Amino acid sequence: MEPFILFELAGTTYGVRSRSVQQIEMIDDVASVPNAHPAVEGVALVRGQVIPALNLRTRFGFDKIERSLRSRLVVINTGSRVVGMIVDTAREFIKISPESIEPPPEALTGLSGKYLEGVATIGERPVLILNLDAVLDLEYELEAAVEQS
Amino acid sequence: MDKPTPDKAGEFFDQFLDDYYAECDEHLVSIRRSLVTLEDEVDAGAVDRTLLDNLFRSFHTLKGISGMVGLSAAEQLAHHLESYLRGLREGTVILSETGFEALAAGVSILENVINARRQDQAIPPIDDIIERLQAVSSTQPLASPSLPKQETPEKVSVTTRWRAEFTPTAELAARGVNVNSVRARLQEIGELLQAKPIVKSAGEIAFHFVVSTDAGESVLKSFEADGLNFEVLRNETIEKAKASQTVSTIGPTIAPASVVRVDLDRLDELMRIIGDLVISRTRLEDQVNDLKCATPPAVWRPLQETSLSIGQQLKRLRESVMRVRMVQLGEIFERMTFVVRDLARESGKKIIVQLSGGETEIDKFLVERIMDPLMHLVRNAVSHGLETVAEREAKGKRSEGLLSLTAATAGEKIIIKIADDGRGIDRDLVLERARARATARGLSHGASAIDDNALLDLICSPGFSTRDEADRASGRGVGMDVVKRAIEDLGGFVTLSTKMCEGTTFTIELPLTLAIAEALIVSVNGQRFAVPQSAVREVLEVESASTKVLENNEIISYRGRVLPLLRLARVFDMDHQRGPTFHVLVLGEESNAVGLAVDRILCQREIVVRAIKDPLAQTRGIAGATELGDQRVVLILDISALREFALKSRH
Amino acid sequence: MPDENKMNNILVVDDSPTMRRMVITSLGTLRRVKSTQAGTGLEAIERLAIEPIDLMVLDLNMPDMHGMEVIDFVRSHHAYRDIPIVVLTTKGEELSRSEAIAAGANRYLTKPFDPRQLADVVGSLLKAS
Repeated sequence: MEPFILFELAGTTYGVRSRSVQQIEMIDDVASVPNAHPAVEGVALVRGQVIPALNLRTRFGFDKIERSLRSRLVVINTGSRVVGMIVDTAREFIKISPESIEPPPEALTGLSGKYLEGVATIGERPVLILNLDAVLDLEYELEAAVEQS
Repeated sequence: MDKPTPDKAGEFFDQFLDDYYAECDEHLVSIRRSLVTLEDEVDAGAVDRTLLDNLFRSFHTLKGISGMVGLSAAEQLAHHLESYLRGLREGTVILSETGFEALAAGVSILENVINARRQDQAIPPIDDIIERLQAVSSTQPLASPSLPKQETPEKVSVTTRWRAEFTPTAELAARGVNVNSVRARLQEIGELLQAKPIVKSAGEIAFHFVVSTDAGESVLKSFEADGLNFEVLRNETIEKAKASQTVSTIGPTIAPASVVRVDLDRLDELMRIIGDLVISRTRLEDQVNDLKCATPPAVWRPLQETSLSIGQQLKRLRESVMRVRMVQLGEIFERMTFVVRDLARESGKKIIVQLSGGETEIDKFLVERIMDPLMHLVRNAVSHGLETVAEREAKGKRSEGLLSLTAATAGEKIIIKIADDGRGIDRDLVLERARARATARGLSHGASAIDDNALLDLICSPGFSTRDEADRASGRGVGMDVVKRAIEDLGGFVTLSTKMCEGTTFTIELPLTLAIAEALIVSVNGQRFAVPQSAVREVLEVESASTKVLENNEIISYRGRVLPLLRLARVFDMDHQRGPTFHVLVLGEESNAVGLAVDRILCQREIVVRAIKDPLAQTRGIAGATELGDQRVVLILDISALREFALKSRH
Repeated sequence: MPDENKMNNILVVDDSPTMRRMVITSLGTLRRVKSTQAGTGLEAIERLAIEPIDLMVLDLNMPDMHGMEVIDFVRSHHAYRDIPIVVLTTKGEELSRSEAIAAGANRYLTKPFDPRQLADVVGSLLKAS
């Protein structure tokens, strides 16, 4: 059983391994960075470190929404990188056994499917487990597109 | 300021001249102080032993370090002064009037000799004084040698002798509790009679101090937290301790060393705290300003003055700490030359190393981290770049390969170049290997011709090496990818320029990492940016109607010249409404000057510079970010990148 | 050297800070070497107690404990008796080379020293140990 942190984005539940999450923050202030990738909303200051704030809605092609009191910055620390992901809301902490994570269904590969490591079903609710390397690599999309053509 | 490879030890040690003069000054001060005391003891028979010991050691050290820096007159003179002191110490010479005069004269000539070297003047003659010192050193022996004064027994009766045991540990040392601090504390409460290392039964090292003091047990108790245990020595035990005093007796307070090595982590911690203080101070200033309307001037003004003076003091504190952190690059350049010499010897190549800009100062934090990447580039240049003598001669090149290391500061950056006049990087070979690797990984690599930047990217890709077997020189498990990454982690970058048969130059640009900088806070389109003030030459207010367009460039006239404008809103692709007037920051000198157009200059602030490390948020024109007192993040402009942008867009 | 990645820690003992810097800089050419320093014999022994030391470069004439006494102490302690010691002392020192070697010094160099020679001597002792 491995601990995961669950968050919501456009009505869907996603999960990331708790060990990749440094902390979850209310979103204070994000300074927009000119000429950055459209999914990069800007930079935020977290524990004295300046980190990019990646809007996961934009990243996955959903409509952007206004930030609200429920919005959260999920700070991912991969060891070599620290990046914040802006999500609709995040609050749950859950244990998932590795066997219950299945490969993403074919039908999902169109949208955020390529950023998924697998799908776990908790009760009735599907939880999409993110492949963080793919999510945080903005060139991934381009490479994947080139490989397909 | 080119400097050839030092091939003599004397030149190598020239880099320590400042330390040498500083240490000489310290010893000379202490010697003069001892001479004043010693003068009273002329013809007295027994002279204070510890005084003689200290004088002897000072001359001994001056002799040693003078020899190292090649100042042989000082070395010789110190040697003869030392000999005279040895005679006094061993009782073979009486401290006579003539002897003391020779000693004092010798000291003042020694000082002149050292100062002459420092000021590049002729070294005064020393033959006469050496003759005088030799003459007084061979006086009739004294009947009994002088005794250490501290062993005078009457003190025993009025005080208690304690034996303190101190066991050093890394934890205590980290708290600053060590054999020196313990000794100093014991010397404060009484007379230290003995200090020696012992081995406890488990093989553990400890120290025994014998201290004679009238301090009560409560005072001694306070030492226990620092790992000291006390035990009363009975009279017979004292005798025993004396008999076994094989180690040594302790003189009075030993002059504290004037050079302290500080752990970089502690300095970083200090800088971080100062950074926090600067932010708090900014907040305080805002709050004081908010109070202005609601507070009577008589109350408000002193408050504001205090806030301002805290600001001034913080600035001085920060500058002092920054100075502690700065070191010259020369030291690591020198280290490189040794490495090059070793490699050249091993590979049978002939190499001339040219150094320049060794006096360039760089933050110690950077020095520690830039050392390995630099070393790797130097090794690469020697083992892959430069050819063997035969190869060079066949190509009609001079038989000695040239490797030059240069450093310079440019604005907020430090630029280090490593250049060789060797064979250059073979583009075709690199491409071929890149294709082979790409094919092996099932990718296609279609490029056919590549420029220097693309070439650098290829050789810096993980696992890439232009040789199948990395030889000893370039091996070390560090590839170019690691070099590039290390430099980028420091907020810098590498560029490459190479030409077949002519050589290769790697240019490293690093920030000076002034963790705190004076900055102008400007606004463009409602967003605030910080501009390092060191880059700004002048600030202008310009009427929008007064700008002209010249060949696609917006310009204004400035001091009788044309100043091209760079609109920040345009660089950053912002949707922008222009007002009737705007502010221009003049960047750069004279003919290269560029005017950076912003909406408004809001204020001047001290900012804590924080790097943007993740590539997602890195963008040309932004050097980092900072928070102002209101907790909001503000981007810091990268002035040299912006100027580059302006110069490019002019063509 | 059995462990390729091991950093050798060299303890530089001299009462002159300038001299310590000179020695440390001279050793800077050696690979996998770091240094720690002590200004007195007692301090040197304290360093031994709290951090692993692979080699000592030792001055003889120092306050509070003579270098020879430091050698005696180190050589009589079972945990430290094999640490190579390079004596680096000023020319004209009353103690002869053979006395220092007899007491347990591995090498004896005089000041002014040649930085290359010092690095070579230290390097070869580290290799041998």
